[in-house]
Amino acid sequence: MNANPKDVFSGTYFIDGDVAAAYGAAAAGCKFLAGYPITPSTEAAEAFAKLAPRVGALFIQMEDELASIAAVVGASWSGKKSMTITSGPGFSLMMEGIGFGAAIETPFVIINIQRGGPSTGLPTLTSQSDFMQARWGSHGDYEIIALAPDSPQENFDFVIKAFNLAEKYRVPVMVMSDECVGHMTEKVVVPDASEIEVEPRRIYKGPKDQYVPFRPDKDLVPKMVKAGNGYQLYITGLTHDEKGYPLLKKDFRTNPRNSTAKRLVDKIRKNKDKIIETQEENLEDAEIVVISYGITSRVAIRGIEKARKYGIKVGSLRLITVWPFPDQMISELSKKVKGFVVPEINYGQIAYEVERCAHGNANVILVPHGGGSVHNPDDIFEAIKKAAKEKKKYDTLFEFETKLARLVSKEYKK
Amino acid sequence: MNKSNLIMTAFNNAVKEIQYDKICMVSDIYWDPLLIPNGIDFFHTPRGRAIPFSAGLKLGNPKLKVAVFIGDLATIGGNHLMHAARRNIEILVICINNFIYKEIGNFSPEKFSSYSKSERPFNIPHLAKSCGSIYVARWTALHTKELTNTIVEAFNKSGLSVIEVMSPGANYFAGIENSTKESEILKYYYENSEIKNNEETNNLDIKSGKKIIVGKFVDRKRMKFIDSYNAQLSRILGDKFKRYG
Repeated sequence: MNANPKDVFSGTYFIDGDVAAAYGAAAAGCKFLAGYPITPSTEAAEAFAKLAPRVGALFIQMEDELASIAAVVGASWSGKKSMTITSGPGFSLMMEGIGFGAAIETPFVIINIQRGGPSTGLPTLTSQSDFMQARWGSHGDYEIIALAPDSPQENFDFVIKAFNLAEKYRVPVMVMSDECVGHMTEKVVVPDASEIEVEPRRIYKGPKDQYVPFRPDKDLVPKMVKAGNGYQLYITGLTHDEKGYPLLKKDFRTNPRNSTAKRLVDKIRKNKDKIIETQEENLEDAEIVVISYGITSRVAIRGIEKARKYGIKVGSLRLITVWPFPDQMISELSKKVKGFVVPEINYGQIAYEVERCAHGNANVILVPHGGGSVHNPDDIFEAIKKAAKEKKKYDTLFEFETKLARLVSKEYKK
Repeated sequence: MNKSNLIMTAFNNAVKEIQYDKICMVSDIYWDPLLIPNGIDFFHTPRGRAIPFSAGLKLGNPKLKVAVFIGDLATIGGNHLMHAARRNIEILVICINNFIYKEIGNFSPEKFSSYSKSERPFNIPHLAKSCGSIYVARWTALHTKELTNTIVEAFNKSGLSVIEVMSPGANYFAGIENSTKESEILKYYYENSEIKNNEETNNLDIKSGKKIIVGKFVDRKRMKFIDSYNAQLSRILGDKFKRYG
């Protein structure tokens, strides 16, 4: 389905990432935004508030982020595409609502313009330290989708992508932008409505009395209805069965037909291949692979170019979808390459994921950065050099094992 | 006799009387599926977030009528009640005042604070009125008929209405209850109540040795949220602006 031409303000703009995100939301058909002002995301909410009357949307400044996210979940059930915009401290408050939204399978989008943390942290400066929180922030087992844009243009594109993924998989989707991208002013092209693909809501259209709210389709995602249409919904954040009724028995996890708990995880994990997007460069002959995401992937380009001039075979893998994580791909890469270099504006989050997927086959070198600014590309270059010098962990282990075996056999012969 | 049943009977009767097909009910903590009136949609939200959730539901689709059930002295999420009242979002808030987590007490026997006797409860009607609520009433759970009429009346108001329902909580609250049995406490509340419509809300404190004043206290008119939103935007944007909702 194409976007509604009324929602798309086609043209070429020179705007910052925050404003671009607001244009993206409008183009995706967002009709409800509840938020609470927080630097550095305020401009995005402000820009959407300006567009709202023109696209027939409602913007409301709630009393806090707890209320914002609850209102967004509510509005989504009323049939509106809805989202909220926030930054670190607000994101922390929203965790409760994200868990609730995931549990009752509500499509909505959260734009997180990340800033330094913990706590009040660096209100006006950049960071990439909310990625683990995005994945694990609320209690319990659930899966979400998180995207990492690296330019204002991508802020626009990924917000549309986020809405599409949210509707397709009935899941909260996070656009994990950061202050640097949010406040960066660049050329942004808003294409024609006919060029923007928009995913409509999975609405149930069969007979009313046969509707089962959480009975999944083949792709493990159930169909939705709007509140107040006579379907007699019973929607609860308690662990529930297909009908939505609370399932508080001990054996619910062993009865997969009744439990939605396992499906919350499976619907993302089993559709992973369709969701995950990456951008690869020079991976064919690469000995070292730089794995980066968000603004860091732009900074890394310079480090990579420098390393290639020095004759080091470096490839680049950029994560567009950070969650779900492309573990299969990295696992296969790890068998071919010497090492991974993971620059990120935090003290190590995704690097540990890469380490997990590398299974000890390749070295993983983290290039941490405390936030406030982006990396110095030379730091990334140094890390690439270091990775190129070092042997594969696997090799050393193998050599050690063969030596040991020889020694043992000599001893045995004696 | 279950207090939830009593209040839900009143709610059921009210829903039948209103005969509107787009009613949603929102609650937090826990609600029994069997008590929900036929034909309406029910949402069970995280504790304390029932009011902002219903604000989203109502603002997302202004045609819905939304009733929210809160409890626990309006402590968790009390802030949301204040702000929903300030904005005058068109929802009906029914605060089942059991003074402590008695609803959870049905689930698990432990009590969170055994000595809460020393704390003073909110004067919920006064709070609601001063925050801008347009319709405020209080009844005990045994005033089923009055409660039904109040719910019907409140549902047709354009703004935030608050109905406080006194129902048995823990027996040690404020020292006014001398029995542990729910039915006896219900009866105690009922017999110790006094109907005083249009009473000043600052006289409505619940205190030991004082009668519980019930009735309808506030019924006034204020512009509802959607209307003031539309008015403001059309003032700024002029004819270009298309009304929301």
